[in-house]
Amino acid sequence: MASSLRGVARVQPNSKTLEEARSRTFDFFKKACRSLPTVMDIYNLHDVVTVSQLRSSIAAQIRKNINVTNPKVIDMLVFKGIEELTNIVDHAKQRHHVIGQYVLGPEGLDKDLGMQDQGSSHFLKRFYETNYF
Amino acid sequence: MSFLRALRRVHPLIRANFSNSRVTSRWISSTPDLHNPEAAAAAVPEPEFRPRTPVGGARIEIQNPDDSVEVFVDGYPVKLPKGMTVMQACELAGVDIPRFCYHSRLSIAGNCRMCLVEVEKSPKPVASCAMPVAPGMKIKTDTPIAKKAREGVMEFLLMNHPLDCPICDQGGECDLQDQSMVFGSDRGRFTEMKRSVVDKNLGPLVKTVMTRCIQCTRCVRFASEVAGVQDLGMLGRGSGEEIGTYVEKLMTSELSGNVIDICPVGALTSKPFAFKARNWELKGTESIDVTDAVGSNIRIDSRGPEVMRILPRLNEDINEEWISDKTRFCYDGLKRQRLNDPMIRDHDGKFKPVTWRDALAIVAEVAHGVNPDEIVGIAGQLSDAESMIALKDFLNRMGSNNVMCEGNGLNPQADIRSSFLLNSNIAGLENADLFLIVGSQPRVEAPLVNARIQKTVRATQAKVAYIGPPANFNYDHEHIGTGPQTLLDIAEGRHPFCSAILSAKKPAIIVGAGLFGRKDKDAIVAAVETISKLGGVTRPGWNGLNYLLLNAAQASALDLGLVSSPDVIRSAKFVYLMGADDANLDDLPKDAFVLYQGHHGDRGVYRANVIFPSSAFSEKEGTYENTEGCAQWTIPAVPTVGDSRDDWKIVRALSEVAGVRLPYDSLMAVRARLSRVAPNLLNVDARERSTISEELRPEFKQKLSMAPFGAAVENFYMTDSITRSSKIMAQCSSTLLKK
Ligand code: SF4
Ligand code: FES
Repeated sequence: MASSLRGVARVQPNSKTLEEARSRTFDFFKKACRSLPTVMDIYNLHDVVTVSQLRSSIAAQIRKNINVTNPKVIDMLVFKGIEELTNIVDHAKQRHHVIGQYVLGPEGLDKDLGMQDQGSSHFLKRFYETNYF
Repeated sequence: MSFLRALRRVHPLIRANFSNSRVTSRWISSTPDLHNPEAAAAAVPEPEFRPRTPVGGARIEIQNPDDSVEVFVDGYPVKLPKGMTVMQACELAGVDIPRFCYHSRLSIAGNCRMCLVEVEKSPKPVASCAMPVAPGMKIKTDTPIAKKAREGVMEFLLMNHPLDCPICDQGGECDLQDQSMVFGSDRGRFTEMKRSVVDKNLGPLVKTVMTRCIQCTRCVRFASEVAGVQDLGMLGRGSGEEIGTYVEKLMTSELSGNVIDICPVGALTSKPFAFKARNWELKGTESIDVTDAVGSNIRIDSRGPEVMRILPRLNEDINEEWISDKTRFCYDGLKRQRLNDPMIRDHDGKFKPVTWRDALAIVAEVAHGVNPDEIVGIAGQLSDAESMIALKDFLNRMGSNNVMCEGNGLNPQADIRSSFLLNSNIAGLENADLFLIVGSQPRVEAPLVNARIQKTVRATQAKVAYIGPPANFNYDHEHIGTGPQTLLDIAEGRHPFCSAILSAKKPAIIVGAGLFGRKDKDAIVAAVETISKLGGVTRPGWNGLNYLLLNAAQASALDLGLVSSPDVIRSAKFVYLMGADDANLDDLPKDAFVLYQGHHGDRGVYRANVIFPSSAFSEKEGTYENTEGCAQWTIPAVPTVGDSRDDWKIVRALSEVAGVRLPYDSLMAVRARLSRVAPNLLNVDARERSTISEELRPEFKQKLSMAPFGAAVENFYMTDSITRSSKIMAQCSSTLLKK
């Protein structure tokens, strides 16, 4: 009983207004930016990425949810962000996780080659990716 | 029913011996009314006469109403021709009779007694598989006597059958297991030791656990009747009965794998599949075999991305329900030696993986750097029609018309379909009463066509004459010559065989595709046609002039017009090998650029400069036309390996990179294109009759060379890139082909 109460007590109450949720988001972003130098050190990222690139990558991830207006949902997303950040700072992840997710992004290595395929058909673009289309 | 009587005799004894113990209550009685058959029979409700669905879609044609009889199965009237069996009557009435030894494609043995039914006025239950129907017979399949008879047979069978089910590969698809669940009793009375039998060595394909055998003799009958080898037999009597090969000898038949399917228990199972998977974890995909030109219907059983086994599928017109050992066991080749990345040969001669982008760009550049007529495309023996039409369209757009398919030889005749197809159809061969086999060894080239000939010879004593190198036949034949000289003799009426062909009602000539590679092919064909005219081999309603192809791709390649002559290779600068491993590249100039597109690192790779990985037949949807002109589809069973792509997609992508974009983006669009070139390829599972038009045929003025015919297939077990990389096939060729 005590243990479950302890868990409950730690969680912040929901934001009451959109304003409050917004400020929590900013707090989270600042916190993330502050931990970036440590992250660079832990995962030895100096030769693959710069702090400012990582920062914009975080900003981009936050901006992806720009259309969310429900404070509860924003709280939830911020919570997930904090969890991810803690995992990274605690070294619960490995180098390739960080590189794959925040340095290369979901498109992987092909991102910068996009220019080459300009003018080629939909078929060819799909062909380069997979056999199944 | 003698054993039943025996049981009754034993019964009081058992009771006497154990009367004071609890064993008395173990007297088996699954249904209480078994002890009182008469009372139970009286209680049978009035039968209703609703039409019933016959078992397995069974149907009969009554040709002569005078010869038909009417019998009653459980009160339901059935009409069927005289001479059919009680079991067939029951099947027509929609009653499935349990059985072990009966198999519709084998002779009747009647030795398992599982199919006992009660017939009114007969003193004891009869074995329905062996008993012919008599007019007015009243058959009862559901009475206590029939049930008790089955239960008794089951008990006797299980007496010596080991309790192996948890470690038996047949588990889950075992007839004995299923039927003992339905018809068996829930306990046995035998407490003695079970007998055990020494396992036999039948070679690298069939695993034997002979203790499990129930002596149904299906395998013995299969070997002698369908496979045509007298290798298996029954030894000993009574409880010492064993199935074996008499002497230390392997089973040397190209159809031996089928005994695995017909064995109702786990006595004969697949050796390569042993302990690999349980049948209920497998996903079945109905597909087509491509290792020979027969196009056997198969089911590919896969688990995840792996092909676990290949089984036959019923198709009366092509493979009945058999497949050859090569078809059944080549699947481990699909896991070995696979190409999974596009690769380019470096300056040091080693291949280095590159991306599709780079590979396509390099090939497109090279292709534009040579003269159009120095570009040559060769389709391999496993190519499907879609990729061949794409290859031909691509090369045509590049300005070249040098597209061919390996195995089709010099200057192939593609305009008249009857000049390269098995015109009487595989099933139609059963009507022939005389065979002249010219330069073909059907046993190794197309085992299932051979099985048909064997079946015909066995059923009707049809005569077989053979011209070619000494070869192995599993039926009576007459070896009348080794080369074109004999053909000439027959054509000119000097040979004793002429009288035989003249007196035959439906003679069939089978010309092997191995002869297509000879320089004097046209002259040979002309000679064969003279014989055919002479003997009336083609007549209204019967076209017995057959060509037996070797490879899965051959027929559709000819239909699509991939007909240039292999001579163009001499001046080629850019060679597109689409899975072609057996093309002769000796004459290729040293500086030519070779692109190999295929699924296996086989012969074609040795000379290649660039490799495109493609998908194998188990991974793609493709159209294949078999040797009788029947188009069929393969269905993907497993995902592709690594970064490989379907053949036609690669050609389509390359065409775009090379700036001559082909106008199709989907399989449907490719098939639409196919329908314009060869509409018959879209009529899946139908055979388009080829018209006989001798007059249209160009005149041949060629000299016949007197060199004897050669063998087209040297090693039955290894004929293409898949079978060559299969370990099981390698074992087979080392143990079974030992001279
Ligand atoms: S091995 Fe199988 S098929 Fe052959 S007799 Fe025994 S049970 Fe029947
Ligand atoms: S099936 Fe009739 S005796 Fe075996």
